[in-house]
Amino acid sequence: MSTAVAAAAAAPAPAVAESYLSHGRGPRSWLLSLDHKRIGVMYLLAIGASLLLGGVFALVLRLNLWRPEGGLVSNDAFNKLFTLHGAVMIFLFVIPGIPAALGNFVLPLQLGAKDLAFPRVNLISFWLYVVGAILFLATLVVGGIDTGWTIYPPYSLESARGLGILFALTALFVVGFSSILTGLNFIATIHRMRPPGMGWFDLPLFLWALYATGLIQVISTPVLGITAAMGFLERIFHLGLFMPEYGGDPVLFQHFFWFYSHPAVYIMILPAMGVVSEVVSVFSRKPIFGYRFIAMSSIAIAVIGFLVWGHHMFVSGQSAAASIVFSGLTFFVAIPSAIKVFNWLATMYRGAIVLATPMVYVLTFFAIFAVGGLTGLFLGALATDVPLHDTYFVVAHFHFVMVGAVMTAFLAGLHYWWPKITGRMYDERLGLWSSALVFVGFHVTFVPQFLAGVAGMPRRYATYAPALVGHNRVSTVGAFVLAAGLCLALFGLLRSLRSGRPAPPNPWGAASLEWAAPSPPPWDNFERTPHAPPGPYDYSGLRHVSDEAGWVRGEVSR
Amino acid sequence: MIRSLLETSAALLAGAPGFFPARASSVAGEVDRVFGFIFWISLFFLVLIVALTILFVVRYRRRPGREEPELTASHDTRLELLWTGIPLVLVAVMFVWSTRTWLEMTRAAGSDEKPLRVQVTGRRWSWWFDHPGGKGSEELHVVAQRPVELVLSATDVIHSLYVPEFRLKQDAVPGRFTRMTFTPTLAGTYPILCAEYCGTDHSRMLASVVVHPDQRSFDAWAREGLAPDGSLVALGKQVFAKKGCLGCHSLDGSRRVGPSVKGLWGREEKLVDGALVRVDDEYLRESLLKPGAKVVAGFGNLMPPVALDERELQALAAYLQSLGEAP
Repeated sequence: MSTAVAAAAAAPAPAVAESYLSHGRGPRSWLLSLDHKRIGVMYLLAIGASLLLGGVFALVLRLNLWRPEGGLVSNDAFNKLFTLHGAVMIFLFVIPGIPAALGNFVLPLQLGAKDLAFPRVNLISFWLYVVGAILFLATLVVGGIDTGWTIYPPYSLESARGLGILFALTALFVVGFSSILTGLNFIATIHRMRPPGMGWFDLPLFLWALYATGLIQVISTPVLGITAAMGFLERIFHLGLFMPEYGGDPVLFQHFFWFYSHPAVYIMILPAMGVVSEVVSVFSRKPIFGYRFIAMSSIAIAVIGFLVWGHHMFVSGQSAAASIVFSGLTFFVAIPSAIKVFNWLATMYRGAIVLATPMVYVLTFFAIFAVGGLTGLFLGALATDVPLHDTYFVVAHFHFVMVGAVMTAFLAGLHYWWPKITGRMYDERLGLWSSALVFVGFHVTFVPQFLAGVAGMPRRYATYAPALVGHNRVSTVGAFVLAAGLCLALFGLLRSLRSGRPAPPNPWGAASLEWAAPSPPPWDNFERTPHAPPGPYDYSGLRHVSDEAGWVRGEVSR
Repeated sequence: MIRSLLETSAALLAGAPGFFPARASSVAGEVDRVFGFIFWISLFFLVLIVALTILFVVRYRRRPGREEPELTASHDTRLELLWTGIPLVLVAVMFVWSTRTWLEMTRAAGSDEKPLRVQVTGRRWSWWFDHPGGKGSEELHVVAQRPVELVLSATDVIHSLYVPEFRLKQDAVPGRFTRMTFTPTLAGTYPILCAEYCGTDHSRMLASVVVHPDQRSFDAWAREGLAPDGSLVALGKQVFAKKGCLGCHSLDGSRRVGPSVKGLWGREEKLVDGALVRVDDEYLRESLLKPGAKVVAGFGNLMPPVALDERELQALAAYLQSLGEAP
């Protein structure tokens, strides 16, 4: 009986169209594809390459810090390396990472739609990203830039900086538009293309997170574009906007920059939280706890996130009143994050927890995000921010949030949707080992940096006091363990393309609509617009048939 | 090598020795207490989250005999309010305590004792400190228990003066003055670091602050090797003469085309639009660059802009101050 069911479920329905991977061949069918899935895969490759590049920069930086006097590379080379490390990681990996790669692939599928609302805009957005990435790398050809990714004037706009800064500002402008268009597309799609029967509170929480992210992208990224354009004009025409020597105000630039760049942190973390909400429910086999609170806390983070940028400027000379208001608002943003964490934990309570790779990554996310979030309290508080500002404490804090939490969630999501994207199951054992290595390597790298910061080591230092050699060496060793963990994850995923067993439509027993499509999905996703499932986290009708056939919705109860 | 790594890790885990730098300013102790408060609350929540994660994984792992989850509620408003309310109260306490401490850290030095006022100039890649009495140095010299007011500026790009032992940091921004006040408590020599990235030798832009045990020791240092005319005040006097300021601004209080500069420093001046302004570095800078911006009541808007570099501006401020401050 059970074999008969398995055979019936495994046999493909005769009318299913060919998979998106084989529909259309040749480079043009990929590079100019309007299919959200192919664009998602191209994004995945592009951000993977960016992560690799940014990671190599990071390892060179860590090696240079092995000795207090540096010396592996010159100070100037060190400064250029950390600038590119930051710019590549933030603008080319972390910001587009989850939304543009995983979001592009998953969003229309979760809505039971055939594509995003504006497929051509989606393709434009991808190519803008590529052009921006090339412009960033072009700065290397003209000698590199050494301004830090924050490009604060007057340093960044001095004429001695050469052409590189103009390339970088143009790259920011272009990449910014890529991000705006993606956000716009996501918002429009979630508004207009929900299937019959799916109200706002029936959306998977990943979509709530992408919606909140889209709002931030659309509202804040134009400010980055405008700031980059103003910097460009200031550099060429000496308008007197940011440069004191022409009558401008460098602190004004900091306001503009952080008006985008602080919300940008939430562009990074919100989609990560969305992935966590999906994975923690599916692998606890329980509906998510406090759905509405999680959904609304995404929106709350997006809104409050706009009002806290001044906490980057407590020692810049901004007015005392401004500093106090920004400090108070910063503490508020801690609350929705706390709500999410407790709801995730409550979801696991009395569940039937499956320790598959995505879930293990999410479990490590809890610890890492807790540290990342809690250490933010020290930096939102005025008294403790003054000594900690611009030290390694800040470096460790934002790496816990942006590398630890976001990358862990990205890896969780990548493993979770990998069977859907590629039609192959990855090797569970390699996946678990990689998550353990990433977890250990990450902590060995960044915990000592907290301590170095408390001891008074400023960031962006090519050389440092000999007393801190221990902190730095432990951190360098950790960076290589982390790199090994990431390489292992990559190896496991790539190997599955060759030797992984074919994935069933629903290997995890998830209830959202992307798992109703075959793995990999046909080029037009669904033959008929599917009806919304009973709930995005209602697992009651799902039965596990076999590893080959996965989970199916059936009326037969056991 | 491995042994030294292990030893370092052990020392890091043990925490206490060398966790914080020495506490050498009047606010350092309170800053560390705020730090400790946030630290212990954070640690409590971290342990809570990790412990619950581990406990749930161990108890509720899917295994033979536990294929399905137990039926539990999927929302509970009281629980949501609880874990919204408790963190809210805790961060409110953090905010109030930290802000009060910070106000103490940034408060202008008390009027009971005249602060030691030092002009600080950041430039690539060194600091320059002009002390009262005219002594300039690449080291900052202050006196234990005597309040200090630093007026910072930068000649090229943004720098940031950071003394870990004082728990204080302040950006020095070209084109404006910023202020940093503190009272050193512990005699000794402490490192000064630049905390705002400023190019090639950012990490080597090091200096030190010498905290003298008493005023006598400071005075002895301040007199030592001082040329009679090499002071900031002397330079300011030259600038005042060279730029022709005397043509309109008298030194003796008599009225000319512009207000006299005698006893001007720190005075509340009434402007043509009725507003009040205190004469300080910022007002001086503005009045030189945009003389028409804040014209004193009773005088015409006649002065042309005067271009000065940062050092000349500081010198002028020091000179005007030396002519006597308003009570």
